[in-house]
Amino acid sequence: MTAVEELPGARTVPEQTRARYPDAIGYAERDGVRLFWERYGDGETTVFLLPTWSIVHARVWKAQIPYLARHYRVLTFDGRGNGRSDRPAGAGAYTEREFAADALAVLDATATRRAVLVSLSCGALWATLLAADHPDRVTGAFYICPAVGLAPPHPERAVHSFLEPLDTDEGWARYNQHYWLRDYRGFLEYFFGRCLTEPHSTKQHEDCVGWALEIAPETLIDSHRGLLLCGLEQFRESCARVRCPVLVVHGDEDAIRPHAQGAALAEAAGGRLVTLAGVGHLPQARDPVRVNLLIREFAESLNGRAT
Amino acid sequence: MRAREPDAEGHVDRDGVKLHYEVFGAGSPTLLLLPAWNVVNARFWKAQVPYLARHFRVVTYDGPGNGRSSRPLDPAPYSYEAEGRSAVAVLDDTGTDRSVLVSLSMGADWALWMAARHPERVLGSVFIGPSVALGEPEVPEGPPFDEPYVSTEGWAKYNRHYWLDHFEDFLEFFFAQCFSERHSTKQIEDCVGWGLESTPEVLIAMEGAPRPDEATVRGWCAASRCPVLVVHGDKDRISPLRSGRALAEATGGALVVVEGGGHIVLARDPVKVNLLIREFAGALAAGRRP
Repeated sequence: MTAVEELPGARTVPEQTRARYPDAIGYAERDGVRLFWERYGDGETTVFLLPTWSIVHARVWKAQIPYLARHYRVLTFDGRGNGRSDRPAGAGAYTEREFAADALAVLDATATRRAVLVSLSCGALWATLLAADHPDRVTGAFYICPAVGLAPPHPERAVHSFLEPLDTDEGWARYNQHYWLRDYRGFLEYFFGRCLTEPHSTKQHEDCVGWALEIAPETLIDSHRGLLLCGLEQFRESCARVRCPVLVVHGDEDAIRPHAQGAALAEAAGGRLVTLAGVGHLPQARDPVRVNLLIREFAESLNGRAT
Repeated sequence: MRAREPDAEGHVDRDGVKLHYEVFGAGSPTLLLLPAWNVVNARFWKAQVPYLARHFRVVTYDGPGNGRSSRPLDPAPYSYEAEGRSAVAVLDDTGTDRSVLVSLSMGADWALWMAARHPERVLGSVFIGPSVALGEPEVPEGPPFDEPYVSTEGWAKYNRHYWLDHFEDFLEFFFAQCFSERHSTKQIEDCVGWGLESTPEVLIAMEGAPRPDEATVRGWCAASRCPVLVVHGDKDRISPLRSGRALAEATGGALVVVEGGGHIVLARDPVKVNLLIREFAGALAAGRRP
């Protein structure tokens, strides 16, 4: 088994032991930006675990990879800005179109004709673009707690400006670029506390904060501003063009993105909605068995199409 | 909800004390997962049972004082001899000739008693975080157990009167000591919940039962002929690693030290512990000495 420290481009942060190591790794390169991918397993169907917002990297899928790789060929990559991928500067480098193009580049670099897409939170934006614009490459789209503006945000998140300086650091006021530069760790502790509202989440919280410390707050600001550029009307239009089977899984206690957003996406993209009772924003980490079984069931349901 | 439900269950009656047992799987050999202190019940093996039952026949039972067993309030059923005889009674009632014993903490006494007194029933013995009287006291010295407590801090909580006054607080303290590993909130909550299925009176009764002295334990170890594996965390705050090391030496057994492990490594490092048990029992099944 290869120790990750020995892999090219190994991160400076020591990594924990993994339950399963990749069978192949490499970089896809697009406009000078290098994207680090990993491949596990060799099933006929490829399951593509997409990056989400660059506050975390591909290890966010650590509880999915070992299980799914027993049944499928599994692809992951670190989204630009984090992990072992490059960190271009400027908000324009972090739009949903860039992420979608990166994902395509990874499909090409790994000679993957088509895949089942699995996305988390903001990953819904690029998953939808890929499914809408490249139907020949996408056999199905599985969304987990999609962060999409198809329904209003939680009211407490609509109070404070992200861009303007604030006179408070309380609660969601920490979701502010000036605060990030002042007390990045304070933001991370709060944000992942809201992501992981279930009891007994200390390990997942520690993992997420650790991954988020691999991206500088300045880069995270760029990545967030890039996502703010995503227009709602454009997104609705993309949803309407999705033709592949769609499944949306959303926790009914998601404190980051309301369950109504997942429900609206399922409707807009013509898919099925599975509601997870008592579950927050990161069910792939806090309810991995259920999520893994749902992904597998979804992938199996596509079998006729995937070949 | 459980990951695996028992295939059979029943109870044995020993002098009016009912002990509830469960049987999982049908492989060979049989593993008898012994009870520990009556502050917990057989569910503390929850991370072992589903895995081990895929490979072996697994028998668990609630010791007297917790779970679905009786709650005796006199010390007699909690003596090491009574506990050892109870384990044999469970083997009898489940039609188990011989088994591999797996014990945690003070369950070590009963496993040692069985191996010494009923060697024909014991194929091998796995000890996890054994609390045995080999050289060192199992719990740091604190104020006397029976006298009114003058402090409510730390190990002063290990006191009959404190238990009667603040049982849940004692449980939270004790299990926080058991789980010195980070990210143990779920395991602590589980254990406190099992503790609350018992009562301070029941724990006090067990406290009154005789524990074997060092000479007795050494006698058992010398009489024991079966293969032995000791698994011990090097951050065990309840039963120090040196106890496990002494037990391995006294029985001629192997010692596996779990780096960073606390007292209940089977709950915090279940994969490692399960693989060790499987390797040990699998070798015995194949007729090899592990």
